[in-house]
Amino acid sequence: MKKRRLLIRSIILGVMMVAIGFTFYNHFSADRGLVSEGDIAPNFVLEDMDGNRLELAELQGKGVYVNFWATYCVYCREKMQYLEEYHEDYNEKGVEIVSINVDETTLQVDRHKQRQGLSYPLYIDRNMLVSNAYGVHSLPATFLINEEGQVIDAEVGAKTEEQVIASLDELIPSN
Amino acid sequence: MEKVKCECGHVNPYGTYLCESCGKPLKEEKGKIANMRYEGVARRSQTYKKSMIDRVWNFFSSVKVGIWIIFALLITSSLGTVFPQEMYIPPGENPAIYYEQAYGTIGLLYYQLGFHNLYSSWWYMLLIASLGISLVIASLDRVVPLYRALSTQRVTRHEGFLKRQRVFGEAEGLDDPEAEMKKAEKVLREKKYKIRKENGNLLAEKGRFARWGPYVNHVGLIIFLIGGMLRFFPEMYTDEHVWVREGEQEVISGTGGNYFVRNNEFAIDLYDEENEMFEAALERAGGSVVESFRTSATLLKRSSNGTVGSETELEEVKDHEIIVNDPLTFEGFSLYQVDYKLNELSTFSFTLESETVDEDFSDFIFEVDLNDPQKLYEFENGYEIEILEYFPNFLIDDNREPTTINRIPDNPRIIFEVFPPDVDREDENAEGEISLIGIQVNESLNGDHDHTIRLAGVEMVDVTGLTIRKDRTLPVISVGAIIFMIGLIQGSYWHHRRIWIQNREGTLLLAGHANKNWHALKKDFSLISANTQIPSPVDQLDEAAKEKENEGVNQNNV
Repeated sequence: MKKRRLLIRSIILGVMMVAIGFTFYNHFSADRGLVSEGDIAPNFVLEDMDGNRLELAELQGKGVYVNFWATYCVYCREKMQYLEEYHEDYNEKGVEIVSINVDETTLQVDRHKQRQGLSYPLYIDRNMLVSNAYGVHSLPATFLINEEGQVIDAEVGAKTEEQVIASLDELIPSN
Repeated sequence: MEKVKCECGHVNPYGTYLCESCGKPLKEEKGKIANMRYEGVARRSQTYKKSMIDRVWNFFSSVKVGIWIIFALLITSSLGTVFPQEMYIPPGENPAIYYEQAYGTIGLLYYQLGFHNLYSSWWYMLLIASLGISLVIASLDRVVPLYRALSTQRVTRHEGFLKRQRVFGEAEGLDDPEAEMKKAEKVLREKKYKIRKENGNLLAEKGRFARWGPYVNHVGLIIFLIGGMLRFFPEMYTDEHVWVREGEQEVISGTGGNYFVRNNEFAIDLYDEENEMFEAALERAGGSVVESFRTSATLLKRSSNGTVGSETELEEVKDHEIIVNDPLTFEGFSLYQVDYKLNELSTFSFTLESETVDEDFSDFIFEVDLNDPQKLYEFENGYEIEILEYFPNFLIDDNREPTTINRIPDNPRIIFEVFPPDVDREDENAEGEISLIGIQVNESLNGDHDHTIRLAGVEMVDVTGLTIRKDRTLPVISVGAIIFMIGLIQGSYWHHRRIWIQNREGTLLLAGHANKNWHALKKDFSLISANTQIPSPVDQLDEAAKEKENEGVNQNNV
């Protein structure tokens, strides 16, 4: 009798704790974004300023550093300078940098590219389709995608040069 | 813990006040009247204190704790309304600065304590969760023993039980007690009491189901809370906002990038200020008042082939005129008209003028689409105008550099470079005339110019503000609310009444108990005494009060 009571109480409390725990998990993980660590990165197709087509799926086998940015985002500027410095070295090691602008005018992106002296391709996400698919809310937002197409980290906000290098190192394919 | 065996033979759980079966008081209590709360049963929480689980259980089982939780929720909920919540401060404001700016030190404190996002804070949610747990456990702990006590109650009650009921009376020396009881029974039957008899004793009962009212009510509340909880589950709830310019389309968030809405046209009607009927009211409102605003919208769906991004193809699904309270609906989603922004800049047209150059510029006009400006504008007369920089929402940033706040052309500035026909744009050493142009702004950036760019025309579009809403929890919440009301009615408009009449060797013992509305119970007793020789029993509480009063009077007289 006493044992049964304990069992019933434990079950009722347990069910309630699981429900509440799941609610909390959902609520506070929503802040982490749609796509987060461990997810398969949603595929997308974008064109760069010269009209070259890029499909994420075709980059399988390489580490991909997907960076969402805007011309008005100061931290993005710093980050993109670091990327400018290192992108060639890492390209040789099998890391691709995909820089995605969040639907600004072509003119602005073009001028930004000239002014900042960026040599890697810039993609414009018209209608924010890709940004929405990745749940990008604040900039810069970066997704590190490994050679199997899996997100190994999602970063938001300013990063130091060391942090950017560390992220790039993480992306170097193992074979 | 030991169980308690009553002299009637019934075995009661530890902590029982009144025997579940015969009602004999098992514990000595102060006062003349028995405490009938929960029929004097052992509330399960009050008995065991052993394992961790029991401790948690006992904590939440306490009504006192429950009331404190409700109290804490009331206080904190009202604190959240002192200043606007984060989602209601003007868009684009940084809450870290806004609260202090708008409300001073108290505002800063409000922000630092996290009250700006109170209703989704972890501790507020934890309080709501505690309320839910408290409701479940406190109800279970009471309804189960109460149900058992009410279904095992015997007709023949212990004399001690009867004597300690609030309404109690004895009828001695009746000529024919059994006949009187029969008459009383008839009266009670007419009053729709359910009657059980045992060894010549009688129990009349009415409206027992009202006792379940509070628990039905709690079940409703729990379902209501579950409905609220479901909002946090995927696919259950969406509440987003989207701005769509006329002629443009935006993705509908929450649909996984599968649905888009296009704003074909936005229209607004204002109340006629000339109309006498509205004149006074409009004057009071201090300006023009919107009569209606609506968006002619088209719903688009991403076709299944094609990856997200620049190869997305859209198919039109349906058109709808969105008016306030007439949303565009599809697959559980509703797009409501909630806001609008009139006259957002969309196109600038410019002319070129010159006082020194002999050239006819009368036909010289070019348009710049502020949402997609061209890099270069070439003209038949050999002129070329290049846009060097474009800032949709101009700002000089902290580094004293020109930049834009966002991508919305609220305050556009353009840096033009004008190349007359005799200057070769391709030549690196050639320099055109560079100027910064915006609304009410026309500055030369490299000395004196022969030409002046003039802003000649402005085109504007309206932007509609729509709310994207999906709520699959509403049916659950409605069911909860309905059950809540049923419970409330059940417990409020019916009342459980019981009357015991016992024949103890010719003396009739009468006792009555009601959970509320004692007046009705007493009226039933009066009806019995009017139809029989049985005198109406007395309310022992009134008696006690009278005695007290008399004592007081006596003391005053001394």
